[in-house]
Amino acid sequence: MRRSTKRKAVRIISYVLLSFIAVVVAFPFIWLVLTSFKTYEEIYSYPIIYLPKSWTLEHYQKISSLDFHRYFLNSVIVGTGTMFLSLLIGIFPAYAFSRYSFRGKAPLLVSVLIFQMFPMIVFLVPMFKFLDKVGLLDTHFGLILAYIPFTTPITIVFLRSFFLSVPRSLEEAALIDGCTRTKAFFRIIFPVTLPGIAAVGVYAFLFAWSELLYSMSLLISKRLQTIPTFLSVFVGQYQTRWGPLFAGSVFATLPPLVVFILLQRYFISGLVSGAVKE
Amino acid sequence: MIMPYVLIIMGLVGFMLLSSVVMSFLDDRGKFTFQNYASIFKDSVFYKSVLNTCVWVVGSVAGQITLGLVVALLLMQIRYGQVFFRSVILILPWATLDIVAGVMWRWMYNDMYGVLNDILVKIGLSKSYIPWLATPRMAMLAVIIANIWKGFCLSGMFFLAGIQTIPQELYEAAEIDGANAFGRFWNITVPQLRPVLTTTLMFTIIWTINYFPLIYIMTGGGPNYGTETVVTYIYRLSFRFLEYNKAAALSNVLFLVVFTIAYLFTRKMAKEVAA
Repeated sequence: MRRSTKRKAVRIISYVLLSFIAVVVAFPFIWLVLTSFKTYEEIYSYPIIYLPKSWTLEHYQKISSLDFHRYFLNSVIVGTGTMFLSLLIGIFPAYAFSRYSFRGKAPLLVSVLIFQMFPMIVFLVPMFKFLDKVGLLDTHFGLILAYIPFTTPITIVFLRSFFLSVPRSLEEAALIDGCTRTKAFFRIIFPVTLPGIAAVGVYAFLFAWSELLYSMSLLISKRLQTIPTFLSVFVGQYQTRWGPLFAGSVFATLPPLVVFILLQRYFISGLVSGAVKE
Repeated sequence: MIMPYVLIIMGLVGFMLLSSVVMSFLDDRGKFTFQNYASIFKDSVFYKSVLNTCVWVVGSVAGQITLGLVVALLLMQIRYGQVFFRSVILILPWATLDIVAGVMWRWMYNDMYGVLNDILVKIGLSKSYIPWLATPRMAMLAVIIANIWKGFCLSGMFFLAGIQTIPQELYEAAEIDGANAFGRFWNITVPQLRPVLTTTLMFTIIWTINYFPLIYIMTGGGPNYGTETVVTYIYRLSFRFLEYNKAAALSNVLFLVVFTIAYLFTRKMAKEVAA
């Protein structure tokens, strides 16, 4: 009896604390959304106005007049390209790491883990010069190429853990039935791990989606730039145009937010099995 | 089938590393020199940025690990609403773009129109408005708080998964033996989480050292180099001062440090597994 009341008390306290943390954590983002609907007078009002009195769409109109949809589209292109290229390059090594033992497996696997730790900034200037030399500077493909050294390793780590979770007996049964290795992979492993593969792909997509440093340095023409660069233009040293900046921010954050919430099970299991069980 | 990975990724990374090393030993006219490395170690901003990086890493990592652990422990206590709380607390900051997080916090920290000062004064935590981003010390505190917000979700997820693997029987046995909640936490949860804790610590430390956009957006490394970390300094050297070769030298120093940290951690982990 005492134990169950104690349990109940712990649970209630946990709910209270979690609610408090949730409010504190969500507040900055709620504030961002609220501000994006305020007129400039309300944004710069003193004392502060918490809820906009007259909800305005002027900042949303402003960004759409600045061709926000084009930056959005560019981000989609770069994200999709990064996703497919890192899956294409990563899926087979991941499978091999999960199934075969071969010469050089250990160093290769270590290389995957080490690549995850490279500071992006270290490669920025060499990458800039390299892309310039091969004529891919200021192209979407060049930026995608610059991203894959950072997305492919994590793709491999995730995918390997998904493949490892599929029992070998599944393929072996197929092999006995006369399937080739390739066929067994596409008929059996691929469908089973598809949600995981999709989650990893989305992860690579969102990496490219939110990346600022490379996208603003490697894409120079305005018509090619992505959302983070678009947003960074509103940030000035002395004056920042908060209204359109926040309207764009809301739009930029919605896709990853929705996708992450929907796929959280796969992300968490992939992320964790990649990092924790390694 | 592994060839594309070996050729493209390893090739690209190898080439980048090599060209960074080569660059770091060249002077402006393309002659071999140690000058780039020498000039780093004579540069007072370098030492400042190293010190700042240490403060930034220790503050951010301590905050992220603590908050992540607290949230994970709390989430394990509740039955309903797991997905809701997980979405708001762990997913929302994670999904927020770096630049969005940066501008959002920068606006909240605004000394005049920022909501943070207003709230602090209203609930009586501060008597007057604080100029958050105007002095080096407060600016460092401000970027660390923002970074804790942005990054604690990852350690939260690691811990959440780690706690789930702890067998329930351990807790039940301890409870029968009369261990209180703190005793159970200290004698079961902590030792069982050790491996996860080590990995999480390694990843958060390395990611925090490498993390660039938040500081770049919020303070640009200022005021007076007060929030300049090694990473933002490399950026400044390359794209403001156009000293590519010196930036390459500093990059290599940074890379060596990150590599050493990773090596020490993995060696420790290997020992733990063996033991």
